[in-house]
Amino acid sequence: MSAEEPNPAATPTPCGDIHGDGRWMSMHERFVSDGKGKEPEVVFIGDSLVQLLHQFGIWRELFSPLHSLNFGIGGDATQHVLWRLSNGELDNISPKVIILWVGTNNHGHTAEQICGGIMAIVQVIKNKLPQAHTLVLGILPRGKMPNPLREKNARVNKLVQEALSSLPYASFLNIDPGFVLSNGSISHQDMYDYLHLTPKGYQAVCEPLHSHIKFLLEKRSEN
Amino acid sequence: MSGDANPAAVPKPMEDVQGDDRWMSQHTRFVQECKDAEPDVLFVGDSMVQLMQQYDIWRELFSPLHALSFGIGGDTTCNVLWRLQNGELKNIRPKVVVLWVGTNNHEHTAEQVAGGVMAIAQLLASRLAKAKIIVLGLLPRGERPNPLREKNAAVNTFLRSWLQAVHSDGTISIQHMFDFLHLTPPGYRIVAKPLLELLLQILEETPEERRASLV
Ligand SMILES: [Ca+2]
Repeated sequence: MSAEEPNPAATPTPCGDIHGDGRWMSMHERFVSDGKGKEPEVVFIGDSLVQLLHQFGIWRELFSPLHSLNFGIGGDATQHVLWRLSNGELDNISPKVIILWVGTNNHGHTAEQICGGIMAIVQVIKNKLPQAHTLVLGILPRGKMPNPLREKNARVNKLVQEALSSLPYASFLNIDPGFVLSNGSISHQDMYDYLHLTPKGYQAVCEPLHSHIKFLLEKRSEN
Repeated sequence: MSGDANPAAVPKPMEDVQGDDRWMSQHTRFVQECKDAEPDVLFVGDSMVQLMQQYDIWRELFSPLHALSFGIGGDTTCNVLWRLQNGELKNIRPKVVVLWVGTNNHEHTAEQVAGGVMAIAQLLASRLAKAKIIVLGLLPRGERPNPLREKNAAVNTFLRSWLQAVHSDGTISIQHMFDFLHLTPPGYRIVAKPLLELLLQILEETPEERRASLV
């Protein structure tokens, strides 16, 4: 990628309403108004992996008590999250920690472009919320058997981890508990459609994540 | 319907556009489940069916009825038709099939979508001569009134006029849809209550009484 060529994964883009029911914009507007009057300590932002977490018991068990908001939209790629955050979703809140989990839907983008998209989101968060810490979650392997998307997601994680290592206000967390089994397969007991997590899959991801968020919140209140 | 072939009634596998082959992996798993299980109730459809299996309500209300769930997110009537013609009905003899699909048929008219649902119902009836088929009506979608809501309502009107018995989908509203399409756990509870009653009624009924109904 040449320096002059714009990165589509890092170009804020609203999701096109291809089906004609306006759901994406409705959700964005709900998130913008959700922030008003609430004082979240933690905000989760991303795609369906974030969104579905909100529907399971583990959200109420582990994350509601931390005063968390959930701004996940199914199908979102980095450029969509970038647009949402640049258009009001962070304007009425001052959370201490942002959890960013996005990138697996960036079909047609290279790992380098996706990393660029994630880093652009981290930068927008830094500009809007200079006091917050952004925790970027590694994107998970997908597909029942080994496939090119697994390799791409792994490379995105490597690039993002490197890019974040020098930033004091952001960090990377690989939350894959080992979803790929020794024979190379992913179990539907963990990912029911080999992409989205079952309650059991969320359990494995969320317990260490919860500890890590508590650690970040405590570290912040010490400073 | 006219004599022209209905594109919503043409069996088609989902194209693996993303490149991780997840759709076929799920289909293959369902075919395998047919070899291992003896379900009395089979749920077939799209994400509305698929997601229900991830919530507590599935284990609470439907698993005890010996139910299997063959839902794949994004599926159209064409995709479900293909799956059922390619192994997902082999070796099983459920007493009831719950069919819930059609909201993803974006390229088809309401009449075509309803025709696609009917084609699936007819396939089920021919393969499972003793089973009863419950067709669930499509839900409204989108936060505000929009063309897809009108279309889904029109699909339901066609289905009601073609199927014998009619049941209301009750009070389900977008309040129960976390993304103005998919249901929250409380949303599924509202759908499940009349459905469960109907299932229990059918499972106790004699086989000849009713073949298909729309909830
Ligand atoms: Ca860092």
